[in-house]
Amino acid sequence: MKELLPRERFIRTLRHEPVDRVPVLYRMKHESKEKLALIYGIDDTSTGRSHNPELELRLGNDAIIYQVGINADFSHHHIEIGETWHNHFGVGYGKSGLKGRTPEEQEIFAKTQEFWGAAKVVPENFPSFHPIKSMEDFKNYTWPDPNDPKILAPIKALCDEYQDDYFIIVDLSSTLIEAAYAHIVGTQNFFLMMFDQPELIEGVLDGLCEYYTELGKNAIKMGVDMIRVGDDVGAQQGMMISPKQWRELAKPRFDYMFKEFRKANSELFIKLHSCGDYSPILSDIIELGADLSGLLQPAGGLANRQKIKSDHGEDIALIGGFDVQRLLPRGQVDEVRHGVLEVMKSFAPGGGYIFSPSHYILADVPIQNIYAMITAQQDYGTYGKYPLD
Amino acid sequence: MSEPELEIPENWESRVPGDWEWQSLWTAVEEGDNDYSGERVQQAIDADIDARVILDDGLFPGFNLQGNRFSEQLIFIPEMLITARAMKTGLALIRPLLAAAAEKPLGTFVIGTVLGDMHDIGQSIVTIMLENAGFNVINLGTDVHPDKFIETAIAEKADLIGFSALLSTTVYYQKVTIDEFKNSGHRDKVHILIGGAPTSQEWADECGADGWGKDAMAAVILARDLMSESRVAWS
Repeated sequence: MKELLPRERFIRTLRHEPVDRVPVLYRMKHESKEKLALIYGIDDTSTGRSHNPELELRLGNDAIIYQVGINADFSHHHIEIGETWHNHFGVGYGKSGLKGRTPEEQEIFAKTQEFWGAAKVVPENFPSFHPIKSMEDFKNYTWPDPNDPKILAPIKALCDEYQDDYFIIVDLSSTLIEAAYAHIVGTQNFFLMMFDQPELIEGVLDGLCEYYTELGKNAIKMGVDMIRVGDDVGAQQGMMISPKQWRELAKPRFDYMFKEFRKANSELFIKLHSCGDYSPILSDIIELGADLSGLLQPAGGLANRQKIKSDHGEDIALIGGFDVQRLLPRGQVDEVRHGVLEVMKSFAPGGGYIFSPSHYILADVPIQNIYAMITAQQDYGTYGKYPLD
Repeated sequence: MSEPELEIPENWESRVPGDWEWQSLWTAVEEGDNDYSGERVQQAIDADIDARVILDDGLFPGFNLQGNRFSEQLIFIPEMLITARAMKTGLALIRPLLAAAAEKPLGTFVIGTVLGDMHDIGQSIVTIMLENAGFNVINLGTDVHPDKFIETAIAEKADLIGFSALLSTTVYYQKVTIDEFKNSGHRDKVHILIGGAPTSQEWADECGADGWGKDAMAAVILARDLMSESRVAWS
């Protein structure tokens, strides 16, 4: 087959049509991006809202994924020692790894990463203040503006610059349940309020649904090819909430959202992502009309790749499945190569599969393992050649 | 796997006044009825029922039922949390009585999420399960420096230490913390358990932990088992 444009490759894969090779989508946190950028000679390694896709495209990405949801800022924003930084949702964020440390110690601590090996530990940004803890908070809460030109203008710029060749995805994560528990309400509060104050939970989810529906429609007007909603409801071994609760709380809201999106563009592609094992609701996600789902973390409950592929592979395109919890950060180069081979063998036959690690490439991944993954993906991801012959 | 069933304590009638019933408390704990749980335990105390009997016959059956269902993924985090809350409310009322009767906890367990990691859902659930299983649990929260684990272990003469980590970038600190225990000379005085998404039995062996729990129930069973294994005594 002749070589396809990245954009064609991605679209044909979503439609389960034949392609030249398995498309890829790598995402990385800035520490990994900076390590790789040194090798590729790329200066601008911005992530999050100021994401520069050049490095990812050099690594072979067929699509550009741009975040505008509640996750867009917090995990990428530079937060100072002891600072609580508030985003446009009024959620406060601090930094981990800081308790009882002086600024000097913190600086040494931040430098513990080893370029060629596993990082010791990297401070992460985490939600430390949740704006809605009571009905009164909820009544006084102001949702952010989905028409904010600061959020929307870069989407247009990306489409103008890259869409001839590449597939453009706008990422609204975290969108609903996760946005509520991790950011707006707080995790334990959320789970207890499901029983104590269900009307508050419904209200928060309605607010999120409306905000993201409008934001998504605005992104669609900018011309994007796909809207990605991300909503973590999977834990390592199974779901965090019951499939029944998900069907009551999330499914009708996603149904509304997706229908509104498709009214704005009937050709739009939609991805619904959850971390962890969310296999009990994959059929529901198909029913909602999503075109793509993953990233299929295999180290816990989603270990049986063949079953996921045979149960759902014909009804939805799948992405991910390459272990970032153990294999990518801790494996030897030959193990990483073998891991890519196994993932390709399980998911790629018959098409409808996009190769990706099961999450961001984090700071602890040795550079040689990133390299091994990319070269193995190139070696084993071509249709007509082993193992896809 | 068969559906877990309520295990009714043998001869429970022999330990309570003639007209007493526990069924309503078993159901309240199972269904997470916090208010009724506190109310019924108070009634039991007022009826002069022994605190240990309230715990074993009144509170545990409903809790164990939900714990087993949680392990089997028949119920999920929200249901487990409300059951744990109902259990905790009852336990808070009888704890002073248990202490007065010189009932010793099964052991002292110091738990926390390792340095650099702010995730706490998993370790909160493990804490509640351990408390309810009879351990004295000291939860140091998230982002815990190795020195803090060691200081607390010394101060509390801890039997068990548990570290949680959710991220592959922070899991390394489970090993660092264990190494720090070795350097401090206190490693042999405690059993160390690890857990969290990126962990495994293999990693537990590699980082020098004494055990790994796949989920909260596994952690409790492991903690009970480890208590019967020998250690160097705190002086």
